[in-house]
Amino acid sequence: MRKRLAGFWLVCVLFALPALAQDRTVTGKVTSSDDGSTLPGVSIQLKGTSRGTTTDSDGNYSLTNVPADARLVFSFIGTATQEIVVGNQSTLNVQLKSDASQLSEVVVTAQGIERDRRSLGYSTQDVRGDVLAQRSEPNVLNALQGKLAGVNITGASGAPGASTNINIRGITSFNGSNQPLIVVDGIIFSNDLNQTENTLFGSQPANRLADVNPESIESINVLKGPAAAVLYGSRASAGAIVITTKTGRNMKGKTEVTVNSSYNIQNVSGLAKLQNDYGQGTQNNFVNTSGNSWGPKFGGPLTQVVTLQGETVPYQAYPNNVKDFYRQGSILQNSFNIASGDERRNFILAIGNTLQNGVIPNTKFNRTNVQVGGESRLNNGIKVNGTVTYVQTVQQGVPGGNGGSAFGQLTRIPRSYDLIGRPYQNALGRSIYYNPTQNHPLWSAYNETLQGQVDRVFGNIQIGYDVTKWLNVSYRATADTYTDRRKFVAAIGAARTPAGELREDIFFRSELNGDLIITAQKDNLFLEGLNASLLLGNNINQRKTQNPTIISQQLTIPGFENVSNGSVFSASTESSTMRRLMGYYGQLSLGYQNYLFLELTGRVDKSSTLPKANNTYFYPSAAVSFVPTDAFKLNSNVLSYAKVRASIARVGRDADPYLLNSVFEPAAYGNNAAQITFPISVGTASLPGFRIDDRIGNSSLTPEFVRSYEFGLNLGLFRNRASIDLAYFDTRSTNQIFNVSVSNSTGYDTRTTNVGSMRNRGIELVLNTTPVRLANGFKWDLILNFTRIRNKVEEIAPGVTQSPITGNAFIGINPSIVLGQPYGVIVGTANARSPQGEYLINPNTGQFVPGLAGQVIANPNPDWTAGLTNNFSYKGLSLSVLFDTRQGGDLYSFSAADLRSQGHLKVTGIDRDQPRILPGVIEVTNTDGSKTYTPNNIQISAQNYWAGLGGLASEAAVFDATVYRLREVALNYSLPGSLIGKTPFGAISVGVSGRNLFFYAPNFFMDPEVNTQGAGNIQGLDLNGAPNTRNYGVNLRFTF
Amino acid sequence: MKVLNYKKFLLVPLMLSIGACSNFVDDINLDPNKPTAVTPPVLLPTALAGSAFANNGELNRFGSVVMNYLAGAGGSPAAYDIFNTNGADFGNQWRFDIYGGALVNYQKLIEAADQNNAKAYTGIAKIMKAYTFSIATDVWGDVPYSQALKGEEFIQPRIDKQEDIYKGNQALGIQSLFDLVREGLADLEAASTSKPAAEDMVYGGNMDNWKRAGYTLMLKLANTISRKEPQLATQVINEVLTKNLYINSNALDLNVKFGSNVGSTSPMWNLAIFASFSNELIMSTRFLNVLRPSATDPTKTDPRLAKFFTKPAADYVTMDNGFRGTLPPTATWSRYAPYVTGTSGEGPVRLLTNFQRAFILAESALILGTPGNPQTLYTEGITASMKLAGVADADIAAYLAANPAVATLTGTKEQQLEQIITQKWIAWTGNGLEAWNDWRRTGYPRLTASQNAVGIDGTRPVRAAYITQEIERNPAFPNPGPQSNEKLWWDVD
Repeated sequence: MRKRLAGFWLVCVLFALPALAQDRTVTGKVTSSDDGSTLPGVSIQLKGTSRGTTTDSDGNYSLTNVPADARLVFSFIGTATQEIVVGNQSTLNVQLKSDASQLSEVVVTAQGIERDRRSLGYSTQDVRGDVLAQRSEPNVLNALQGKLAGVNITGASGAPGASTNINIRGITSFNGSNQPLIVVDGIIFSNDLNQTENTLFGSQPANRLADVNPESIESINVLKGPAAAVLYGSRASAGAIVITTKTGRNMKGKTEVTVNSSYNIQNVSGLAKLQNDYGQGTQNNFVNTSGNSWGPKFGGPLTQVVTLQGETVPYQAYPNNVKDFYRQGSILQNSFNIASGDERRNFILAIGNTLQNGVIPNTKFNRTNVQVGGESRLNNGIKVNGTVTYVQTVQQGVPGGNGGSAFGQLTRIPRSYDLIGRPYQNALGRSIYYNPTQNHPLWSAYNETLQGQVDRVFGNIQIGYDVTKWLNVSYRATADTYTDRRKFVAAIGAARTPAGELREDIFFRSELNGDLIITAQKDNLFLEGLNASLLLGNNINQRKTQNPTIISQQLTIPGFENVSNGSVFSASTESSTMRRLMGYYGQLSLGYQNYLFLELTGRVDKSSTLPKANNTYFYPSAAVSFVPTDAFKLNSNVLSYAKVRASIARVGRDADPYLLNSVFEPAAYGNNAAQITFPISVGTASLPGFRIDDRIGNSSLTPEFVRSYEFGLNLGLFRNRASIDLAYFDTRSTNQIFNVSVSNSTGYDTRTTNVGSMRNRGIELVLNTTPVRLANGFKWDLILNFTRIRNKVEEIAPGVTQSPITGNAFIGINPSIVLGQPYGVIVGTANARSPQGEYLINPNTGQFVPGLAGQVIANPNPDWTAGLTNNFSYKGLSLSVLFDTRQGGDLYSFSAADLRSQGHLKVTGIDRDQPRILPGVIEVTNTDGSKTYTPNNIQISAQNYWAGLGGLASEAAVFDATVYRLREVALNYSLPGSLIGKTPFGAISVGVSGRNLFFYAPNFFMDPEVNTQGAGNIQGLDLNGAPNTRNYGVNLRFTF
Repeated sequence: MKVLNYKKFLLVPLMLSIGACSNFVDDINLDPNKPTAVTPPVLLPTALAGSAFANNGELNRFGSVVMNYLAGAGGSPAAYDIFNTNGADFGNQWRFDIYGGALVNYQKLIEAADQNNAKAYTGIAKIMKAYTFSIATDVWGDVPYSQALKGEEFIQPRIDKQEDIYKGNQALGIQSLFDLVREGLADLEAASTSKPAAEDMVYGGNMDNWKRAGYTLMLKLANTISRKEPQLATQVINEVLTKNLYINSNALDLNVKFGSNVGSTSPMWNLAIFASFSNELIMSTRFLNVLRPSATDPTKTDPRLAKFFTKPAADYVTMDNGFRGTLPPTATWSRYAPYVTGTSGEGPVRLLTNFQRAFILAESALILGTPGNPQTLYTEGITASMKLAGVADADIAAYLAANPAVATLTGTKEQQLEQIITQKWIAWTGNGLEAWNDWRRTGYPRLTASQNAVGIDGTRPVRAAYITQEIERNPAFPNPGPQSNEKLWWDVD
């Protein structure tokens, strides 16, 4: 295969040699057909090449070296794209018709190929940079929330920089990453999430897309299905997000300086309402070490109590004791751009800075970006462009998780505990707290931290050459490398490591890509109106990681945060990986009369991570689109435009590195409270110890595949006043490379193997309308997106009906794949039920009888999601209001179970003196062996009732996560030209914006949009993580 | 010409991409982080530590509370103390200590040692494998055994009956624990190409001691099933007595030793003394009352009290089992003393002991009629325990003289058995599992229900429920499985 392709390229290249023709310069003016006004900024593209220009402020353009048979494509937002054969004309004046908006635009598809939207046989959705910037949100992914159909975006929490999960069209891989491929200016961009601590109770590091400054983004195009992304190869089987940053290309020869500033404040949001009638203790008795609020009622005979430290304090409610733990956070963002040039030669310098102080004490997220980029087209047909960006991101977070962390304690603060009003540490720097085994949350926040500094450089260089007017060769080299230097500090006295622990944890990652792309393009091939283009490409890819970790334990000097302070280093580790991939790809695009399009794509990958015998694999896609309104001249005032499209694709995926063998590793025992790590020192001997890794390797792995069908419909109605983009997709993932669980009595935990089948079916709808457009300039645009995805695990492995997802899990709360269920359901112990489905009650205790293990107790997948954006504009004033909703899906909440079973929650304070009966029936076995069920009538105390309902590991910790949210509001005012005409400023705009201003969750008493383990395949768990925030602020932008 | 040059230049990257291909992706997928093979000396400590964690970790928190050495002041021990335990408990012990820790690495040790005929290693591994399997079956009853530890072959091993595990079952291809120990002992007798040294954290490579440990394990296993299978037990005990090779001095105890550094310390040191969980355990008032029956007559006080438990305050600060209410400051609590945990976490973890051997022989002489004088062996057991705890000979003699009701076996066989097991219980301070085994077997020591007892039916647990992971992963496990109030096969009364 390799040799044959190489030979083919040679033929292509040699073919090109004699082709030289007479080129000319074409000039002209572009005007609007509506009112004859000139149109500045119209894109003029030499079809089939990457060459083009834009009109200047007077609507004039000039394009050199235009071949005689060339076609020029004129496109402009809000107008219909026109394609004109140049012929022998050197002046070409064009009138563009309005109202074909959204339907005939140039979109950036895989490998940076620009395509007319109407030719696409698959779904993409683009977002302009201006709906991401100035939205009170420093993270691009969060700023995309609610704006895309088919895309699920969930933030981990409101902690600064906390990671955000994104899945496009559901989960397609049991084990591999289901995050889409991120491409920034052609650079394959790592969105990895590196964890220093166990995700069950660590702080929440950022996913690396957070290194992108939203202010620098010109546009984002989301390639949703495998068909759209197949040219990018395996990693795009979960879709791709193609980000294009701002350039100087549209500056029309001018130099423009843009300055943006915004300041936002953050407040904690979504905390539960708590009762304020009962204080610390249990069974109506005060107990000074209790984390419960089952103590005596306030206002009774008990007015003073003695703390664990022996102090006498009043016994009363402290209604804001938990809320006051949080502070007001702030986000200050500044950016500065200089863009200059024209479509031939241009450059940009962009500098951005974000300073965020979180609502959690001692947390921050600071980012500085510096980007330099430019391009130059030489007269001889060579084009060179490149960009390089340096980012420094500093993040500081506080661990969460059950028990020994600030957040693990904040759900266990008795209502009578004066959390903030009294000192949290003593003169020796040790915590002062009610619970002898834990630390004060503020002590934890200041003494248990994870700091990280990312230094990242990414960039590309591309050289292209128009060999002939129909043949272009280009080579693009991209690099993305970062080092994240982390420091984890757990001071002496930390609950989980009483002797203290320091870690120097360094994550290095480097990715190199080289792409050779040859494009050939021919119009009127064989018959009039048949346009063809062919792309052939080769990709070489290398990914390297290294993660050395120095773990320094048993600290001596308080407050000395250097690893030399420790006396035990045996837990230190090192991990390195390298993987390489060689890919060959090709794409043939055919268009007939601009109403019928066919695109065929194929790619062969050879991956280092698979066994040699199986490491080369091919996958194809085909897409067709048809515009009947053009084909049959059906356009009317009602139906302006219609397009039907269909695609089929199959994408292969390789394995992670080093899965082929069973291996040994340094041994360790114990949980976070009783741990040994080899080598251990016994007497004077230091003993190394290795154990067999708990995964059984597999030397005969084969690639996994995702097969996808997609059908779509685009409609333009009422002279394109409304447009509809509807997609239905059906993907099936097979031959999954999965660490399938095995019985632990095998001595192992998982076995790597190719197994299973999983299906995703879904509907995406995007509706764009302009309900109101008045002559005075007032306009109301309404954009609705809707997503409904159904995932089903159809097969796991022979004899296996459920298997946990790779990752960290608490016993009995296992995010899993279960036969016949959607991906990621939580498997745990469900209450035992009678045949009629009622809970069984233990007649001795009045409590639930022990439950059944291995039951699906929660499904984190939503039934459907939708977003509704309203844009109102009037002259310089614009208002954007985004509502979104998530319907259904479950959240498994430690925080909720804690607050309720421990008597803090508001509802537990109501009628507390009344005995209660748990819902259920008592099983009676009759003499003949038959069973009858009588309603439970055993009265128990309120404490036993709420605690008996269920604590952390029970189905009672599961809640419906349905939520309606006012996600985003942005009001902006651009000063009219008449006001600033005499100033040096080109434009000035001021605005206010807010995020997460309001939410309503009908079945949950906190904000259900949390996801403790962050980006990844495990979703739907709140394991005592940080809460969300509400942000609002002002922004200012001016150019000169 | 200019154009032609460019075209040639363009071929360069193209050629580079193609030419690099042949070596570009092959042979780079070897894991630089983890070896694919290791030698016996690095597997032995791993597996030994696993057995120690199995006995001395969470299951010891459970056993120590359920057997009333300690009371549960919080967390899981507070639940154990009111007899609550279910399939969410002991998952880590099953997965990481027993099957995925000790057992699989004994298996890998046997495989690695067999490759170069290092019989010393395979002998130790087989004996300790039998010991560790006995923990599994004594805690959970019927467990995967004959098909376990063969991940490539059986991903869902069947469950073998406890009876078959102890006695073997030829029809099902199940080797008895006794035969597994015998196989290990035979390996120890055979020539070995290499022998362990310091990595043997138990005996430092002394093979004679390992033989004694193997035979003493036979005694323990026989003793465990002696109520259910008295004939088989008698036969095994006689086999060992005839061989006359067993642990017969405290210095020969099978102790897994740990270190004093963080990351090297014994499980109970962390759980009872050092880590945050330590304030979930406090000495039981009930056990204090056993060791010190009279506050006014110091001669009645067992001299081991001060060796077994700390006394940071003026007097012992304890809690009644199942108590729910305000507790005194944690700094004053009486906890396991260095006898159990080591002064800084060194342990040791005592898996087989001289006093245990003496009490076993006393019991079997009394009940099964095996050779030996029950009283002599009983006194030997008490004395061995006291010496192990560091009690001076004179103090031992004084205590025994002042407390004839303790020192002398009197009454019916059943009453004498109660005396033996009660003293064995005291001697086992720090090893809740062994005491729990004896209590389930014999009903001794006599324990009364905790305050606020709940459990399944208010009674003390007699087994652990299967861990939920196995129920989820292996259809061989019954769901629902037996609860904590259902007796094991060898638990006859």
